[in-house]
Parts: sequence; structure tokens; C-alpha cells
Amino acid sequence: MEGLVTQIQGLSGTASDVLSLQNLLKQADDSLHAESTRLPPFLDQLDPSKHSLGYLYFLEACTAGPVTQEQASSFVLTIARFISSCVAEQIRLAPDKFISVCKRFKDQVLLLEEPLRGVAPMLTAIRKLQLSSEHLTALHPEFLLLCLLSKCYKTALSILDEDIFEVDQPRDLFLYCYYGGMISIGQKQFRKALELLHNVVTAPMSTVNAIAVEAFKKYILVSLIHHGQFPTNLPKYASSGAQRNLKTLCQPYVELASSYSNGKIADLETYVEANKDKFESDNNLGLVKQAVSSMYKRNIQRLTQTYLTLSLQDIANRVQLNSPKEAEMHVLQMIKDGEIYATINQKDGMVRFLEDPEQYKTCEMIERIGSSIQRLMTVSKKLNVMDELMSCDPLYLAKAGRERQRFDFDDFDNVPPRYNI
Amino acid sequence: MASSSSSGLTFKLHPLVIVNISDHYTRVKSQTNPPPLTSTSATVNGVEHQQQAPRVYGCVIGVQRGRTVEIFNNFELLYDPSTHSLDRPFLEKKQELYKKVFPHFYILGWYSTGSDAQESDMHIHKALMDINESPLYVLLNPTINPAQKDLPVTIYESELHVIDGIPQLIFVRSSYTIETVEAERISVDHVAHLKPSDGGSAATQLAAHLTGIHSAIKMLNSRIRVLHHYLVGMQKGDIPCENSLLRQVSSLLRRLPAIESEKFQDDFLMEYNDTLLITYLAMFTNCSSTMNELVDKFNTAYDRHSRRGGRTAFI
Repeated sequence: MEGLVTQIQGLSGTASDVLSLQNLLKQADDSLHAESTRLPPFLDQLDPSKHSLGYLYFLEACTAGPVTQEQASSFVLTIARFISSCVAEQIRLAPDKFISVCKRFKDQVLLLEEPLRGVAPMLTAIRKLQLSSEHLTALHPEFLLLCLLSKCYKTALSILDEDIFEVDQPRDLFLYCYYGGMISIGQKQFRKALELLHNVVTAPMSTVNAIAVEAFKKYILVSLIHHGQFPTNLPKYASSGAQRNLKTLCQPYVELASSYSNGKIADLETYVEANKDKFESDNNLGLVKQAVSSMYKRNIQRLTQTYLTLSLQDIANRVQLNSPKEAEMHVLQMIKDGEIYATINQKDGMVRFLEDPEQYKTCEMIERIGSSIQRLMTVSKKLNVMDELMSCDPLYLAKAGRERQRFDFDDFDNVPPRYNI
Repeated sequence: MASSSSSGLTFKLHPLVIVNISDHYTRVKSQTNPPPLTSTSATVNGVEHQQQAPRVYGCVIGVQRGRTVEIFNNFELLYDPSTHSLDRPFLEKKQELYKKVFPHFYILGWYSTGSDAQESDMHIHKALMDINESPLYVLLNPTINPAQKDLPVTIYESELHVIDGIPQLIFVRSSYTIETVEAERISVDHVAHLKPSDGGSAATQLAAHLTGIHSAIKMLNSRIRVLHHYLVGMQKGDIPCENSLLRQVSSLLRRLPAIESEKFQDDFLMEYNDTLLITYLAMFTNCSSTMNELVDKFNTAYDRHSRRGGRTAFI
């Protein structure tokens, strides 16, 4: 054991040394696991910032067994310190060990019921493990889970803003997008939530999994809140399993969506009351209530398409609100959020609906469009690369070849054969 | 032939003349049957038969005021190969007609096409000397040289030089400038932007329009850069300070920007935004189509139940 320690200390200098060290450590892994109880004092001899790889192996062996509450807090401290001071290149040589250490860290933090302590170290861990900001690691969903449990949504938003192009494991993507959707709902960023939940629902899956079912329920509700309608068919890039099965598994929600589209609030509210327990058991009751209140907004928006001016009393009647005062509050809120363009004349209580005042004449618009074009160009390049990869995929070529026309034009006889009837 | 004239006359050439000569030449060339071949392609009777591009001839007319000779217009003449001279009666008839319409114009000389002035040209030149004591010879080189930056037009004068003890008339080259009237500028612009037959579609017109603006801006940019470089050198002291040039630069700078008003800003930004939106839309369409293909391929490869089964129907 001491020999191993000295070797680690000696061989952590250059990259080639580290590689040979890794081989040594792999061979010594079993013996490390066997002596896991003896290891903690050795940890003090190693410096996490210089001997990251060796420290990682030792740490992983230490935390392998069941951990008691007292041990948990000391381990949490050690692991947190390790994560903040370790060297990224060395850890990337043994990513699965690093991931398992971090997962145990998360378990211990949850055991201590202090998820907040785990948020910052987990964020650093993600940054060190990621190969680039477009890479989704197994730590992303753990991080989002900690953020959800500790209710610090803002830190999660910085991670959610990054676009993901590479994924290690599909399960990571599902969990990441699902948690991300929940966090965005918590922050009332419904557009982002819709995008993330959409990713879960349309991701390729050979069989429908539970995460997708839960995500689909939330997806229906968020799409009602944000868009005011729910598209009954999933797009064609959703897997066929999802297309057939998801709707049958989420029946009450689909019915909620159809009664929403009828536009009558009273019906909607009775339906919600009737199925309250189902919604509550899914922890979706809050979202359902938000969906019901968004119905008013939807109806007011529908009014803008028919009328140029309308009195507040009329609005209240059409939208089935109780008084013109409530109508005024709703309209005011919507103007502030930028959902409609209108002016309220308080003297006679008339609301005038206006057109979108954007003239596309300003420099800010130029910058916005310019940056959108840049983003689109990068996406386009990536798509082209993916398209080429897909065209060379043997699975695709095998199936595409089968659908080709078997006969050439020349094989046809111009004179139709005589049929003997 | 000497290379520079010493007569001290300044010549101004109008683009109408150049366009006319070029048009005459092109017409004749496309009407000859068979079209002229290149030099090494045919041998007839053991003699290498070289069909050259046809030469066209004509007269140039214009005004001479003091030391300035301005060539405004020209007309075509027939060349008689037997007498090696131009058709005289026709020339006189044309001269009369032109005198009626443009009383101030005189016959200043004649023109032809070719790569260089030849000895036989002197014959024609001398024949014209009775109309004009010192006629001009305008020569257009019809061969297209993509590397050449200047116009392939040269103006020759005749001078009496003593060569080998014998006084001879030889051609000497003269420099000239191009002078345009507003109407000519419009038509030259139009001709310059002529595109081949399918130039009618909106996409190529837009592309041509934007390309024109782009090259104009590029040229402006490069010229200003030269000026900037020069001024920086002057500031450092590498180049002696020239006040007249500095005054010119300063007056130029005061003229830019050419328009500065709010309406212009508005319209300019709106047009800029429109172009950007068009580009954005085009990129979007491109991206969507790639994505569509990718999704189709993915579904074919990995989704077991996606296809409706069976082969596609044949024609």
C-alpha cells in the first residue's frame, strides 16, 4: 500500500507517466477495494491537485462500501475538496470512477439532507469532466436533481442554456431534459421547458420508458399554458413506440387538452375537479391550475383577432370573468408580458388592440438577426456532418437498398402481355 | 512607329465611338461564313491558310477646338481591297448627310480593327489627307486579353520623320482621355450590365445588383486605404508633405458621408434588415431540408415499424 502511494507521488508528473500510473492503478484496483477500511489515512499523504488520478482511485475504493451518517459528513468534505482542486486531464483518464465518486457524493449529501452543499461542487465536477460545453455527461442529471431538491434554480439555468450535441448515455438525456423541464417550469420559462420536454418525448426509444410518460404529461400541460393548444400528433421524428403508446398512457391529460380547446372555462374546471386525485398523485396539480388560468389569456388573445376595440365590460363577459376590473388586470398583465399589443383608455373603459409595432428598422434587430444567422450556420454544419454519417451507416444502407425499385425502365415491355382470362 | 506624339494635341474620345467600332466588328465577324478559324487548323495547297479575323473600316468625326480634338461619332465605310482604299463617293455622301445634322462636326480621321498598325494603313491615311491635313487613326484591338486592364483602343497620328535620309510619314501613338455625356453614361452602364440570355429571373437580378454594389464598395474601400496609407506615411515623415494633395484629401473627406438624414437611416436599415431576413429564411429552408432528410434516414434505419411496408410503386 505504501509502495503504491510512493508510486503515485512519483509518477504524477508528465502525461506519459500518468498513463503508466493508470495501468498500475488498474491492476491494483482490486487490492484497493479489499482494503477499503484502511485507506483514509493514506488519502492525507496524497495531494489532490497533483496526484488527482491516484487520489481518485483511493477515494473510490474508500467510498465503495456502505457509509454511516458520521462518515458521510467527513466524506462529503473530502470529496468536495477533491472536486474543487483536482486536475481535469487526469480525471478524464478514468471517467467512470469519477462519475461513481460523484454519484456517491450526491447520495451522501442527500443522506445528510443538505442538497445545497452538493450544488457547487457538482457544478465544478461537470465542468471538469465535460470535453466541451456541448457534451452531456452522466453528472448533468445528478446536478439538476440537487438543484431541484435544494430549490436553487438559477444556477441550473446557466447549465441549461448550453446546447447539447453529444450524449454519453440515452438515460442521461432523458433525465437531464426532464429535470431541466421541471426547473424551467419553476422559473416560469415555459418556452425553454417546452423545448426540453419535447426532447424527452421525441427522443429515440425502442420501448416507451417511464421518464417519457411523466414528461409527456407535463408536456401537455406546458404546451397548453404556453401555446394555448396541444398538437394531437407527435412529429414524425418521434419514435413510433412513443407515437402509439404515450397517448393511451396519459389519458386524463389528453382529455384535459381536448376540453381546453373547446374554450369554455366552466367545463374545464369541472373536469379538473373530477380528476383531481389523478393530477395530484402525479404532482401536477399546480401545473393544471396554471393551465386553467391561462385559459383566460388565450380567450383574450382570440378576441384581438376579431375586434379592434372592445370595452372592458364586454371582455369580462366574453371571457367569463367576474368583473371589468379583473379584465383590466388581465389585459394589463398581458401587455406587460408582451403577449398582446393594446392600449387601455381608462376614461371610457375601452381597450384598443394594436398591431405589432416592430418596424424592423433598428440596429438591435440587425444584431439579433445577425446572431441568429450565425447560430443557424453552425447548426447547419453539424446537421450536414450528421447527415453524411447517417448515409454511411450500414443499418440504413441495408434497409434503403431494399426499397429501391427492382426493375429498370428498360426491363419493361412496351406491349402489355395478353392475359388469358 | 514611334511611341509618343509631339504634336501637343489633347484627344478626347467618346465611348459611343468605341461601342460603335466594336459593334461593327462583331456584326461582320458573326456574318462571315464560315467563321474564322485559328491559324494552325487548315493547310490548303501546302500553304498554311490562315484565316484572320476580318478588318473593318470607317470614319471618325468630331470637333477640333484649338488644341483639343474631341471625337464624337463615327460611321462605317467599305474597303476596296483592289485599290487599297476606302470607298470615296460613299464617304462624301455620308459626310454631306452628317453635315446637315451636325454642322459642327468634321471628319477627323478613320478607324480600323487589328492588333497593330500596318504599312498598308499608311496608304489609306494619305488618301484621307486631302479632307483633313492631319487625320487620326483609331485602332481597336478585338482580341480579348483578360489580363489587360486598359481599353484596347489606340489613337495614332502621322508625323514626318527622317529615317535613313528619307522623310517618311510614320504613325505615332497619342494619349487620349475618355469623355462622356450624361446620355452616354447611362447607355454604357446599361451595356456593361447586360447578362446572358437567362438574366431575367429575379434571383440572378438580385445577385447581379448586389454584386455591383459590392464591387463598387470594394473599390471605394481600396482607394480610401491607399489614401490612408499615404497620409500615415506623410505623418511619419517618410513622404514629403504636399499641401495641394492634403487640400484635395480634406475636401474629399468633407464630402463623405454623401447622405446623412433620418429618412435615409430608416430606409437603409430597413433594406439591410430585409436582406438579412432573406438570408435567414434561405438558411432556415436549407437547414430544414437537411434535417428532414436526416430524420427520414434515421427512421428508415432504426425504427422498426415506421415504413408503411412494401415496395414503392413503379412508374
